[in-house]
Amino acid sequence: MRRVALGGTLAIVAGVAVLVAAGSRTEAAAPQQATAPATPVAVPWPDEGTLKGPKQPIYFRHDVHATQYQIQCQYCHYSVAVASEPGIPSMQTCMGCHLVIGGSDTTSKVEIKKLRDAWNAKQPVEWVRVHYLARHAHFPHQRHVAKLGPNACATCHGEVQRMPQVFQANNIRNMGWCISCHLEHGVSRDCTVCHY
Amino acid sequence: MATSIVDLPTGHTPYPPITQTHADVTRDVVGTLSPPGKGYLALLAAAVACFVIGAATFLFMVFKGLGYAGYQPPIFWSVFITTFVFWVGIGHAGTLISAILYLFRSPWRTAVYRSTEAMTVFAVMTAGLFPIIHIGRQWIFYWLLPYPNARYLWPNFKSPLMWDVFAIGTYLTVSSCFLIFGLVPDVAAIRDKVTGWRKWLYTRLAFGWQGTDNQWRHYSRAYLYLAALCAPLVLSVHSVVSWDFASSLIPGWHGTIFAPYFVAGAIYSGIGMVLTLLIPLRKALKIEHMITEYHFDNMAKLTLLTGTILFYAYGMEYFVAWYSGNTFEQTTFWRRAFGPEWWGGWTMIVCNAFVSQLLWFRKIRTNLTALFVISIFINLGMWFERWVIIQSLSNDFIPYAWDSMNPTWVDWFIFLGSCGWFSMWFLLFAKNFPIVAIQEIKEFIPMPRKSGAAHGGHH
Amino acid sequence: MSESPQQPMNRRRFLTVVGASGAGAAVLSGCSTEKVQKLVPYLVQSEDQIPGLATYYASTCTECAASCGVHVRTREGRAIKLEGNPDNPISRGRLCARGQAGLQGLYNPDRVRTPMRKEGGAWKAITWDEAIKLLAERFGAAGAGLRIVAGQARGTLTGLMNRVAQAQGGALVRWEAFDRDAERAANQRTFGRGDLATYEFGEARYILSVGADFLETWGSPLEQARGFAQSHGFRDGAMARHVYVGPRMNLTAMNADEWLAPRPGTEVAFVLGVAHAVVARRGGDPRLQAAVATFTPGAVAQATGLAAADIERVAGEFAAAAPSLAVAGGIGAQYPNAVELCAAVNLLNLAAGNIGTTVRFGADPDAREGYAAIRRLQEEMAGGAVTAVLFHEANPVYALPASARFGEALAKVPFKVSTALVLDETAAQCDLLIPNHHALERWDDAAPRAGTFALMQPVMQPVFTTMHTGDVLLKVAQAIGGASAAAASAPSFEALVRATWQQLAAAQKAGDFEAFWRAALQRGGHYAAAPVQPVSLASAQVDATPAALGDGEFVFTAYPTSMLHDGRGTNRPWLVENADPVTKVTWHHWVEVSPATAKRLDVREGEIVRLASAAGTLEGPVYVFPGIRDDVVAVPLGWGHTEYGRYAAGRGANALDLLAAPAGPALPYVTTVGVTKVRNAFRALAKTEGNPRQLGRHIAEAMPLEHAAAGYTIKQSWEKLGNPEHEVNTEAELQAIEGFEEAFAAARELGNYAGEQPMWGLAVDLAKCTGCSACVTACYAENNIPVVGEEEVLRGREMTWIRIERYWEGGTDGQPVEGRVVPMMCQHCDAAPCEPVCPVYAAYHTPDGLNGQVYNRCVGTRYCANNCPYKVRYFNWKAYNWQAFPEPLDLQLNPDVTVRARGVMEKCTFCVQRIREAQHRAKLEGRPLRDGEFTVACAQACPSDALVFGDMHDPESRVRSLKQSPRGYHVLELLNVRPAVTYLAKVNHRPAPAAAAGHGAEESH
Repeated sequence: MRRVALGGTLAIVAGVAVLVAAGSRTEAAAPQQATAPATPVAVPWPDEGTLKGPKQPIYFRHDVHATQYQIQCQYCHYSVAVASEPGIPSMQTCMGCHLVIGGSDTTSKVEIKKLRDAWNAKQPVEWVRVHYLARHAHFPHQRHVAKLGPNACATCHGEVQRMPQVFQANNIRNMGWCISCHLEHGVSRDCTVCHY
Repeated sequence: MATSIVDLPTGHTPYPPITQTHADVTRDVVGTLSPPGKGYLALLAAAVACFVIGAATFLFMVFKGLGYAGYQPPIFWSVFITTFVFWVGIGHAGTLISAILYLFRSPWRTAVYRSTEAMTVFAVMTAGLFPIIHIGRQWIFYWLLPYPNARYLWPNFKSPLMWDVFAIGTYLTVSSCFLIFGLVPDVAAIRDKVTGWRKWLYTRLAFGWQGTDNQWRHYSRAYLYLAALCAPLVLSVHSVVSWDFASSLIPGWHGTIFAPYFVAGAIYSGIGMVLTLLIPLRKALKIEHMITEYHFDNMAKLTLLTGTILFYAYGMEYFVAWYSGNTFEQTTFWRRAFGPEWWGGWTMIVCNAFVSQLLWFRKIRTNLTALFVISIFINLGMWFERWVIIQSLSNDFIPYAWDSMNPTWVDWFIFLGSCGWFSMWFLLFAKNFPIVAIQEIKEFIPMPRKSGAAHGGHH
Repeated sequence: MSESPQQPMNRRRFLTVVGASGAGAAVLSGCSTEKVQKLVPYLVQSEDQIPGLATYYASTCTECAASCGVHVRTREGRAIKLEGNPDNPISRGRLCARGQAGLQGLYNPDRVRTPMRKEGGAWKAITWDEAIKLLAERFGAAGAGLRIVAGQARGTLTGLMNRVAQAQGGALVRWEAFDRDAERAANQRTFGRGDLATYEFGEARYILSVGADFLETWGSPLEQARGFAQSHGFRDGAMARHVYVGPRMNLTAMNADEWLAPRPGTEVAFVLGVAHAVVARRGGDPRLQAAVATFTPGAVAQATGLAAADIERVAGEFAAAAPSLAVAGGIGAQYPNAVELCAAVNLLNLAAGNIGTTVRFGADPDAREGYAAIRRLQEEMAGGAVTAVLFHEANPVYALPASARFGEALAKVPFKVSTALVLDETAAQCDLLIPNHHALERWDDAAPRAGTFALMQPVMQPVFTTMHTGDVLLKVAQAIGGASAAAASAPSFEALVRATWQQLAAAQKAGDFEAFWRAALQRGGHYAAAPVQPVSLASAQVDATPAALGDGEFVFTAYPTSMLHDGRGTNRPWLVENADPVTKVTWHHWVEVSPATAKRLDVREGEIVRLASAAGTLEGPVYVFPGIRDDVVAVPLGWGHTEYGRYAAGRGANALDLLAAPAGPALPYVTTVGVTKVRNAFRALAKTEGNPRQLGRHIAEAMPLEHAAAGYTIKQSWEKLGNPEHEVNTEAELQAIEGFEEAFAAARELGNYAGEQPMWGLAVDLAKCTGCSACVTACYAENNIPVVGEEEVLRGREMTWIRIERYWEGGTDGQPVEGRVVPMMCQHCDAAPCEPVCPVYAAYHTPDGLNGQVYNRCVGTRYCANNCPYKVRYFNWKAYNWQAFPEPLDLQLNPDVTVRARGVMEKCTFCVQRIREAQHRAKLEGRPLRDGEFTVACAQACPSDALVFGDMHDPESRVRSLKQSPRGYHVLELLNVRPAVTYLAKVNHRPAPAAAAGHGAEESH
């Protein structure tokens, strides 16, 4: 009963939100200024909880991995080019490196210890999900990667390789975001391409 | 008024002589605004109670699901749409009497048009709730409205339901304007006789009315145009509503006769409701001498006319079903008369086609008790007409899917709620606004010779 | 295809992984109402699980003894759908309704989640160590008093059980409710061998079934349905003829060209009468000739109450057809003299020369006693000889008549154990529950027939803390030590299975075992040709005296339904709400009464009658059924469970209560009863059917074989039959259509189906469709369709996107009653009436010819459903998505399909998710879609290949060629909505009009 009530009201609120978003979409879609200096070597970035995006159980730094160490996105997100789901790296993948790499500074040492403890305890790290669509929208990653090429990821996720902590760079939950891009590329805007 | 209706076109029944003076009229009408008695309060309380029950039931349904109402596929519309069309229909007498009869200069409207206009507005207010009540996800009803959005999505203007949104919207706006506008001189007349919050209210609603010639000139012109603007709505609105059904392919709905048939029915039910309301009302407000047998006689004639049109329409439906040789149509109409739900069909035919024929007799037309009883039958019959139309869904093309209508308490409580909501507004109006148009009554009062000049060409 | 995942992943983890992949019970909400989501990675990435892509494992269905091969579709480590295994000779890529519902056995919310022990009448969860310790003690002490009752299990596990039991001096009892005991006994007598034959329905030109419901529960239904479609489905101007003989019209009879209903119990005489004609024509063994000599048409007519003309005709046709096929032994017609009947049918097949052609011996791997064995066990238990008993895949307390007093006898056994997955009636009486793994969670094998070796592998981690019964027995045997330990020593049951298959590999002359094993895992088993052994007549002895049924006023038959089988299906919502193919009743049992009898007893549908037999009484709501003799009443089996979970317990009554359980080779399911009306008692039947007749609306079309062979269109056929022409031919309508054609052509210019766009279409061949409803279950599974429950079905709110409409024809004024079926799903009309009326474009037409339904856009005005002439749109009146999938049933949900929320309309989408998936694949591989590369769920499941899906723009596509068949027509064509679904008219192989006089079925009415 109460869930329905909640669902109903939230839906209304959300509906209104869409309207607002509609207005501010262009602004939302505007290029995201880098939140870290655009140097090949990411500077240590203390996690004072002041960073954008949700705080993760482990302060995993995409900027360090993707920019400083030049690891390709698909090394960890292994199924993005073949399946609708991008794939979350298994703990084994993390340990593949961190068995030997223990971290250079105190911050990283602490964080990597967390990972190792979890691995030894055979407990997977429960990351907080940043990017997700409503359950009635189907997003085939493989098709978009194939179409958009090297910059595919950044198109929606923003410049993750410069984010110490991942946040939702673009308003991807708003259908207008999808539509405008589909318009740009002149690809199908048929509803049942995504909604079924 | 500029085109005063005192100089009647020939052939009109002369307006019965009025013995009172201007002062009397004003007094009597203002008298209707006297502090309410116990009976009135009791009625109001009952109305509010019904409304609260209905509202509570609606909330229950929103949280628990439409399934608690008596929907039984293939009947995907049920009591809610029936009631929706019922109230829209009621709404038609008002505009007809105020606008069309005004344009036709028929004198008898003056005493009754105020109340019927009020009824119209409230009926449409009630009807307007049902499209929202009956949809599956009430919380996103606004998707039915065209507004710019990030999805680049617009409503489907091909859909009769969209036409509805606009038809009802327009009708509500225009008829409210008409009501408020018509009130101006009268509100001004009583403005000076009341105190307290009413004074405050009337002062605002009078829009600074002084009754100067200049104001009268503009007023009567504007009133005329507004009436002209309303007139087509009488036909358009219910035609559009009828297309909700006629533009589908359901046997029993898919008929070209629907628009005129619905308009006639709407007026019929409208007048029926007017009678139901006015007969007790004039007693309660002690204005029998203003709303007289003369008025009822005329309304009864209108009822007779529209009722007879309905009679014809019913006949035609059956004829066409038979003549078309279309097996689906034939089955539907056969079952309408002799199927498991035969009682619905016959209630409709008896209450509308047959009962209305009693009004050929002047004795009955002028016997208010008889009229009141008949008007009740009319309301019942017209509700069932819509019920029967909806019922065409229960036996359409695929026999395997057939089922029958089977409403639940949710349907009935929400119907009750709509009645409460309507009565509540009407009662409040009756006690707080002049239910009879003071100025226009006054026009029929023979002018005192000496001061005649003072009134000029008009007034 | 690949091996099962070896690396561990506990249930909670794969659940959360599901969450990560955005799948799981995705609840459609207005917009974003999800709370914080977690991404939970694998510890170790399993090499054959890619999120977002399905992985298929080959396994074997255990829902009935047929052991069809299946492919298990898994996503993110959970099984989400069962499909047929194309490599498997039994299923050939198809799967029946019961088989697909196996998933709801796996995810059944009422499964026993841990081992449990009864203490003071209450169940108490214990650990597996405790359970095994206890078992070892008691089994060890049991000695010769140990019995293991195994149901359909066959293969390595049965062998193990046998050894374990015998090591103690105990015994293994092989019994299954619907074991074909009568046939075994008859074969023993006629041919001197107690094994079962296999039947080649696909090759027969004439099929005579005497009470054998070969499309429902008898034998290997799926395989037989396929064979039946091959021979009886109209092809190249010819088709076999199918005559059914029995007291009531079951699904098999409904698919017959002729239904004969002789006096119940006199079928033997009828069969011998046919044999008489055959012998007269072909001669044969003198013993045979002697046995049938006296059964002239006249004499048989005397005995059976059928018209001599019919008997002569059928006999003549049967004798003329070669090869022909006669079958008997169905449960619904299992009289006290069932053995005689089967023996008579053996003689008939022998006389007609069918032995070795359509009737083949030598394929049945193991002969057994069945009913006799369980009766002996009952006596032993009653006598106190049994000290410990283990029930595996057997529920005798429910599946034997109460009059067998099995429960009472069982109570005398000091230690009772059950491996049941769900607490059934037998398990409820036990002292210890050791829940087995579900077939999809365990290693196992089966040998449904010689030459076919089926393998099962775990396709996912166990849902609950269950344990493989094989492993339990191994551990117990080791704990007991001594002879037991020696008899059953293996590190694990998996090792035991491998050992068995090593022997098999050797026997099959397979070189490298690992290769053999991998191939077997990938193909779901090893398939070799079944040896055909010659058999010869041992004895022609048959006793044709009518069965002694009793002295009740009515003959009563308890018959199995294709959904519930022996009652094991009653806890699967998919099977309980999927309407019975013949009566279209759901969720409750019913009492079938003929219209004439109903009038005589003054009962209407839903009114309660009480049936009283010598053995007991039963009450139930009347179902007035044109397909039953006036002197017969029938009640379906499978209802009236007292345990067995929330969906089954306390639902309906058990028809077995009326039966006696006499000594003998087989349990008779027919007796006699008195019928009395219970005053003022009523129970509305939750039927999915509104009006049982199509009122000449040309929905389910049929044409005589001659017309079909002559290539007439359905309209030409009407004219030949002197039917009125269809309204669509009136001048006005033709003009209207032409006008429409032009307008429509213009519309196409504007983009619909333009250029490369495909145009999806479906063809439904009613000459093949049997109405089995496998497609309905497939749709439930594929499209996350909720089960709504009895109350909602009573309001007509079932959500089956595809439904099988069943219409009665004839049955009045001397016409034979004919049941026709039409699968009805969204027709995806080109000019769809539902589209223009939607105010928000939730219903609209896609460029590839689909009638799109956008759930998240739908506000629920329901105008589309009103305006749909086919009534194939379904509305979520309540939050079915929250009620229908109690944990862990929600694990079955297909992540590719949105779960619809309350207040939105839904309908058949032509499995758009499959279309998109295939398009993604083709696009990535840079090639166009190939015809038959994928298909929709209903077509994929259809045992008789009646549904064909494809692109109508592709000139090579199968669907296109089918649509051009002269038999093709659109339902409600005169509405001119231009459906994308084409139906091919049913073809009736009726007898020549001359001979049709005095119809047998009529005489019985």
